[in-house]
Amino acid sequence: MTTDHDSDRQVVVQLDGVHKEYGDLKALDGVSLEIRAGEAVAVMGPSGCGKSTLLNMVAGLDRPSAGTVRVNGHDLGGLNETGLALFRRRQVGMIFQFFNLLDDLPALDNVALAAQLTGTPAKQARHRALELFEELGIADRRNTYPAALSGGERQRVAVARALMNRPALLLADEPTGALDSRSGEQVMDLLIDLNQIGQTLLIVTHDPKLAHRCASRLVEFADGRVARESALERQL
Amino acid sequence: MSAVWRASRAAVKRRRLQTVVIGLVVFCSTATVLLALGLLDAVSNPFDRAFEKQRGAHQVVLFDAAKVSAGQLAETAGRPGVAAAAGPFDQATARLEKSPPGVGSGAFRVVGRADPAGPVDRPELRDGRWATATGEIVLNEDGDLVRPELLGSKVQLVDGPELTVVGVYSSMSSSADAWVTPEQMAALHPTARQMLYRFDAAGSAEQLESGLASATAGLPAEARTAARSSASLEEAFSGTAKAYLPFMTVFGVLALLVSVLIVANVVSGAVVSGFRHIGVLKALGFTPNQVVGVYLTMVSLPAVIGAVLGTVLGAALAQPVLRVAFQGVMRGTAVVEVSPWVYLVCLLGLPALVAVAALLPALRAHRLSAAQAISAGSAPRSGRGLRVQRALGGTRLPRAVSLGLGQPFARPARTALTVAAILLGVTTVTLTTGLTSTMVQYADSGKRDGGASLDIRVGRAAFEQTEPKLTDRQMEALLRSLPGVERVSAQAISQVKLAGYQQSSAGFFLRGDQDPGDIRQIVEGRPATGAGELVASPTFLSQHGLAVGDRVTLELEGRRTTATVVGKSIDGDARFFFSTWATLLELEPSAGAAYYDVRLKPGADVQAYVDAVRAAEPGLYPGVVDDGNLAADTVVSFASVFTVLLTVVAALGVFNTVLLNTRERRRDLGMLKSIGMTPRQVTVMFVTSMAVLGLLAGLVGIPLGMVAHRVLVDNVGSVDFPAVMKDVWHLPELSLLALAGVVIAVLGAYVPARSAARLTIAKVLHTE
Ligand SMILES: Nc1ncnc2c1ncn2[C@@H]1O[C@H](COP(=O)(O)OP(=O)(O)OP(=O)(O)O)[C@@H](O)[C@H]1O
Ligand SMILES: [Mg+2]
Repeated sequence: MTTDHDSDRQVVVQLDGVHKEYGDLKALDGVSLEIRAGEAVAVMGPSGCGKSTLLNMVAGLDRPSAGTVRVNGHDLGGLNETGLALFRRRQVGMIFQFFNLLDDLPALDNVALAAQLTGTPAKQARHRALELFEELGIADRRNTYPAALSGGERQRVAVARALMNRPALLLADEPTGALDSRSGEQVMDLLIDLNQIGQTLLIVTHDPKLAHRCASRLVEFADGRVARESALERQL
Repeated sequence: MSAVWRASRAAVKRRRLQTVVIGLVVFCSTATVLLALGLLDAVSNPFDRAFEKQRGAHQVVLFDAAKVSAGQLAETAGRPGVAAAAGPFDQATARLEKSPPGVGSGAFRVVGRADPAGPVDRPELRDGRWATATGEIVLNEDGDLVRPELLGSKVQLVDGPELTVVGVYSSMSSSADAWVTPEQMAALHPTARQMLYRFDAAGSAEQLESGLASATAGLPAEARTAARSSASLEEAFSGTAKAYLPFMTVFGVLALLVSVLIVANVVSGAVVSGFRHIGVLKALGFTPNQVVGVYLTMVSLPAVIGAVLGTVLGAALAQPVLRVAFQGVMRGTAVVEVSPWVYLVCLLGLPALVAVAALLPALRAHRLSAAQAISAGSAPRSGRGLRVQRALGGTRLPRAVSLGLGQPFARPARTALTVAAILLGVTTVTLTTGLTSTMVQYADSGKRDGGASLDIRVGRAAFEQTEPKLTDRQMEALLRSLPGVERVSAQAISQVKLAGYQQSSAGFFLRGDQDPGDIRQIVEGRPATGAGELVASPTFLSQHGLAVGDRVTLELEGRRTTATVVGKSIDGDARFFFSTWATLLELEPSAGAAYYDVRLKPGADVQAYVDAVRAAEPGLYPGVVDDGNLAADTVVSFASVFTVLLTVVAALGVFNTVLLNTRERRRDLGMLKSIGMTPRQVTVMFVTSMAVLGLLAGLVGIPLGMVAHRVLVDNVGSVDFPAVMKDVWHLPELSLLALAGVVIAVLGAYVPARSAARLTIAKVLHTE
């Protein structure tokens, strides 16, 4: 359900006729999509329909074969590799099914890293990371290495890292896919809280429960295309 | 097709780049190893090989014919320790009245022998045949050129017959200057008998001495007049070569080490990085042995191809390189060639090395369970590595740099091998630059200033040349008067005896302008200027037990004079010393110059000068002298070849390490990129990870190379390098060298780091 109030909000993501081909295979086949600030959009669909590909386009990790991708006013097509890296640093945060933490850094340093890449001094970066750890309730795990963290804890560390540079958009690819139901719940709660304080979310998931709990809008994907869009009533 | 073969083929296909790197590294390494082994083989063997082929004499002993009978000497063949003996042969020392050019100067040892066969010393035929009748003579030629014009030429002995040269032979034992039939020998009134011995034990100078003592025990002590051992022959044989053979040995050993290290690193790295793949194979139901089989096949394929091609390249390079290396060094029948075992070692050894390098980690994978193997695919954690990473994270360094600095700690074994390879590379570069610098100065010290240098010989009837009509002094004046001349000196050479020594030495006596080049060659003391002064080479002085400041008595045909050693030259022949004309006049008042050294002004017309000399005095024979220093050139060019090869191999090793690291860290890399690491930061990270190793290798490798350089130049027996030539290291060179390791590392790291930076990693982020 789109309200007038929603349409006043700034457009954060705007995809226009985005195609992505891998050889003969059409991973995305003309996707147009708009996400406004403060929205929480869930993308669902069968395996291989192009959900992760879509996320990569929005994150600037990959380039479309055709069409335009604009995120927070930046036309990603106009950016070179370095430009895309700088864009990712500032505009988006990403979390993944398999966390993707650096195994040889303790949790806190994994998170601080995101700020350090932008040149923030170590001390300041660790300070900011610790604030996030406290907010996410994992402050006591800050010196633990990823291998010794539970799945839910790892995902919360990954969320902290994604939020480090205060991104306009948080992207999540099956954030609960590798978690047991209890840890999954914790991560869902976290996402809901974040959305409630205004964080724009784009979540790819196979889990209807995740979609219905966290998202305000559902985008159903099939064969690289948006098959259906519907507003969701949050089931808290 | 077996499952192993199919899986290996698929693995090779999927890892084309890695396969190519293995093949390339094995290729370069094989070529390097072949050159290195070939060199080591050639350095150690040519004398021995040729010597053994002729059943060379361990001792050539001369007896006074008046004091010991032929029968007594023949009995010595059965003495304990004597493995074989030949002789006694009668020997006469003749002087030549007339001989073909280039044959015999001074005393000429003629030995009567019926044939060149026998249990000891079998001179090898070079040209013609052995002497079978009186009036025939066979020459011993130790040069490496066959001179057909010698056959049929005449040798006229002083107070003796004229003999016709019917053959040219070469004796590695140097048992005579010429041979005649025993009947002809009788007519030459021999005063000495020659015995040739081979001993059971001949490994050291002491054994040669005790063998001689045992063989001649019981004979009158004063009967033995001279003995020459194979040790001294070998010394003489490789005299010049010794100046730089140690260098080559060191380069050979370095090349071997670097090649082996890199091959081990590249191959074991390939297997370790395949652990995850191994886990998958196991999960598919491959038995542990099949897994090992897959990996051995996978690395052996490029290894065998690389080894074969490398052997071909090495073989093609070896002959010309060795020829250059031994130019002007060879004597007699010694042949420089690469022994067949070297090819065999390269063809079989390198693939075997590859197999062993692959087997060790593969066996580890063999023991791992499928699950362990899959998780071992990501870098293993080590406690110290983690602490380092953490400490680095807190530094003020840019994060890409500190991440790069931490990388080497994740894989300590691979890091150690990589560092070792760069280290040896840096050591080689340091050693080479040092040697080059020393050798260039050494070569320069021998260089004469100014224009062309001419060696003008005085014609001698004995050599079938025109005798000059002008006197010695007139000829010198003539040479000075012709246009273009800068300096002229006259020289005479005489066989002079030093009182108290058995063998005579060749004295070079000089008159006229001293060449500044000669003066530069003096490393201790000063040049000889006045009467009774001489200078000599380090080997001459050490063989005579002399030092600068010592006095010696010179004897020439009954006349004596004393002389003081006033200087030591940088290098030179152990049989020569240099003195002044005034000294010669004391010994030989009527002496005349044998040749003149002429130095022209820079840019003067050499041909015009030569023509003018010939026109004015047909009895003068001018020749142009090449100032080049062959030994120095050889060392420099050889060192450069090895440095290039080793730098390439070391850089390939780094390339491979970074390639493996980027492969293994694809996931980390993907994550870093997803949080905004720029391509430049990625490149910086990987290049830093190797540059720090390069720096480390530099800090250790440079002192190592400096020590190696010092040890080498200090242990060249025949060249006495002065301190200035040894102190080649100064701050600018050192700081440049410190960069060498970094440069090798950065060279190797840059390309894979760049491609890692460009890698699209979207895919790896979404999959486990
Ligand atoms: N780098 C690539 N090269 C070739 N094909 C690719 C690549 N990435 C994705 N594809 C293909 O594109 C299609 C869409 O892939 P994508 O990962 O977006 O699917 P998905 O919807 O995320 O699936 P899942 O739910 O299983 O994660 C698939 O058929 C996939 O095989
Ligand atoms: Mg997906």
